[in-house]
Amino acid sequence: MNGYMGEILRVDLTRGRITTIPTSRYEAWVGGHGMGSAIFFDLVKDKTIDGFDPANVVTIMTSPLCGTLVPAGAGRTEVQGIGVQSYPIGWFTRSNFGGRFSTMLKQAGWDGIVIEGRAERPVWIDIRNRIVQIRDCRSLALWGMDTRSCQERIWSYVCGTGAFGDWLRPDGDEGGQTTQRPAVLTIGPAGENLSRVACLIHDAANSSGQGGFGAVWGSKKLKAISVIGTGSINVHDPQGLMQARLRQTKQYAFDLNNRKRKPLGTVFDAFPRPVTLWGKPPGSQRPSEGQRPQGCVGCHAGCRGRYASGIGNEAHCAGTAFYSEASSLDIQRRSSDLLNRYGVNAFEAWRGLEYLRALNKAGILGPGKKIDFPLTFKNFGSYEFVEQFIKMIAFRNDGHGHKSQAADDLGEGFVRAAKKWGRLEGEEGDLKTGLLNFPYWGMPNHYEARTELEWGYGSILGDRDINEHCFNTIFWDVLLCRFLGGKPSATAEETVRIYTDKMIPFAGDRLMMDYGTENMYSVHIAKLVAWHRHYTRFWKQSALLCDFRWPDFVNPYAPDKVGSSGESEPAFFNAVTGRHFTFLDGMDLGRRIWNLDQAIWTLQGRHRDMVHFADYVYEVPYGGPSFMPSRVNGQWDYVNISGRSIDKGKFEEFKSRFYLLEGWDPDTGYPSRGTLQSLNLGTVADELEKNNKLGKG
Amino acid sequence: MEKLAEPDRELVSRILQEVAFGERIVGYQVRERSGPMAKSLYSFTEVCAFLHDQFPVLAFEELTRWLKVVMRDEELALKVAEAVEQGHSDYERTRRIGEMMEERLTQCKNARGSKA
Repeated sequence: MNGYMGEILRVDLTRGRITTIPTSRYEAWVGGHGMGSAIFFDLVKDKTIDGFDPANVVTIMTSPLCGTLVPAGAGRTEVQGIGVQSYPIGWFTRSNFGGRFSTMLKQAGWDGIVIEGRAERPVWIDIRNRIVQIRDCRSLALWGMDTRSCQERIWSYVCGTGAFGDWLRPDGDEGGQTTQRPAVLTIGPAGENLSRVACLIHDAANSSGQGGFGAVWGSKKLKAISVIGTGSINVHDPQGLMQARLRQTKQYAFDLNNRKRKPLGTVFDAFPRPVTLWGKPPGSQRPSEGQRPQGCVGCHAGCRGRYASGIGNEAHCAGTAFYSEASSLDIQRRSSDLLNRYGVNAFEAWRGLEYLRALNKAGILGPGKKIDFPLTFKNFGSYEFVEQFIKMIAFRNDGHGHKSQAADDLGEGFVRAAKKWGRLEGEEGDLKTGLLNFPYWGMPNHYEARTELEWGYGSILGDRDINEHCFNTIFWDVLLCRFLGGKPSATAEETVRIYTDKMIPFAGDRLMMDYGTENMYSVHIAKLVAWHRHYTRFWKQSALLCDFRWPDFVNPYAPDKVGSSGESEPAFFNAVTGRHFTFLDGMDLGRRIWNLDQAIWTLQGRHRDMVHFADYVYEVPYGGPSFMPSRVNGQWDYVNISGRSIDKGKFEEFKSRFYLLEGWDPDTGYPSRGTLQSLNLGTVADELEKNNKLGKG
Repeated sequence: MEKLAEPDRELVSRILQEVAFGERIVGYQVRERSGPMAKSLYSFTEVCAFLHDQFPVLAFEELTRWLKVVMRDEELALKVAEAVEQGHSDYERTRRIGEMMEERLTQCKNARGSKA
């Protein structure tokens, strides 16, 4: 099959040994997440280990599409392993980042990297085509550096003193040549200090955020992986791929001279622009300096920016929403840089700071308060404040190099810190009142679990804040129109029809899109959640299509507004690989991968009784905005579903419906042998049985 | 639109002070891709800044109540209620309310300045 380089790099840090795995051994899983889960399952014999255990395996996987011309489908990299961020235990989890790392890895000849063990002292991995070396960090003094300095130091080491654009022969005079610089994935001080909210960072701001993989790398004493390659990727049908891209971008992508809807950031037809969420603090302006768009490899509509000053380069999404209270735009942009340089998860820092501020305002937290906290909130809004705050998380001290227990607690993540501070106990516990707005697995709130059902349910039935925007476009489209005036891209009826027609194998069940309170625990919503889990597990996380552009449901540029999903995904896949893969094949494989993940979580100790939201989700009505499709007197409309909470008992009934739909034991949530065997996962069933965790049925 | 009457000393003081934790008002900072995030606002000044955000969502009834009960600014509360009634979109309402609150804030800052 084309699109592959043929081998996966296997690095054992404990023994300093480098070996390879033939990609063909895992080709049935295609790539990305599927391959990562399968490799993890095979290599980690005891799934109950902690994420900091040297036996934890971290996979960094590409897909056959990486480095090709698939629009918004060639630039992602999938990271997996046992994480350390989630609560009460670190689940086997995933994260994903953009940029050029996966492309460069393939150009060097590798389909992925498997990291095992723990080095004796800090190391980095230097990959130059097929030459791979584990190097001591000391010679370059990399340990202790922030992510930007680390990357610059490695670039200089690998590339010498040549100017940018000079030709480079990375593996000697006989090898290929390139004008590119190595793609480096690295941790900052947060990872080195085992902060559970530490990220992996690539280039200026591509971040593998969730899971705390920065800390996992830190525990393995792995500072960075640098890769430079001069090879190319074999595509089955280059002309067909080019034609498919041109057709896709002509028919379904933006037209700047003919804008057809309000700007949305998470649709295929979004136009290229830096999606920064920096606010407008009074007296400031949006960045007015010279800037140019920046995108991941192959993208037709980049979503980041680079600026003349270099401040806030490539930052976007939550990394720019953080610290919106800054007293100037310049400070806010520099705050984004601080997150990336120190390698700190933006969402945790953002929502966590809101929580700390509330505790401070309540007179509970601050210097000399009940929670003795070294940060002075009088300086809130200043650069000094945010720098100290980020350093507290990254270095687990007071931000000035002095010991602080409360700051050390922050490095455990905000839910664990709150528990240590006694804030989770009693009827007024912060997860009961919602003061600590972390609804699932100790992760910060993102889109609202009480209204955007596939998001909330998908997160708690999985391992993390899913951060998958497939249906979330509806929320935005309708809300923007309600706020600004105007009409959404499609009526509620059109939306429901277009979406559900594409939701193979459940296509045609319109009630999958009824977000109303009467329908929110139904088997139809179970199908919605299952479809979403299966689609994303394969098409987004294994084939590695970009979450911000796929799937393409309602598209105002398309005939009858019917987007390209269902046809385009397999068209691109087959042009690259030469397979005859259908959309349904992808959905089936997504289900297989989702089942393998559920088996891993089960082996880690998951039981259905553990699968519940933070108490406030059941007890406190959501007070924010949300309009989603529902039926009113038999007619579809966008309905205000704000003001509701989730009924705990009914959600338990929903879980049973979901487990039955997936073929899992409704009493435990354990996958059953019958289901696993039907998915050709008999050995997984054997492993569950050996551990007394095989579901009935 | 008619200008707001000059605030008395007590109102100036309340407007420029932070409120007690239990008297905070919660808005939703809605940012593309990051979702609607509850945001506690601890002063009149913070509410003003919040209303200048990209996409601020504050329940207008709750804001009116807060101005009336916590700030004890009956006049502004009434004008906000009128703006809500007359606005054609939430964007327009939010902008109009933001302007009026800015006007009140400026009055109070000026009054504090002239006293100093």
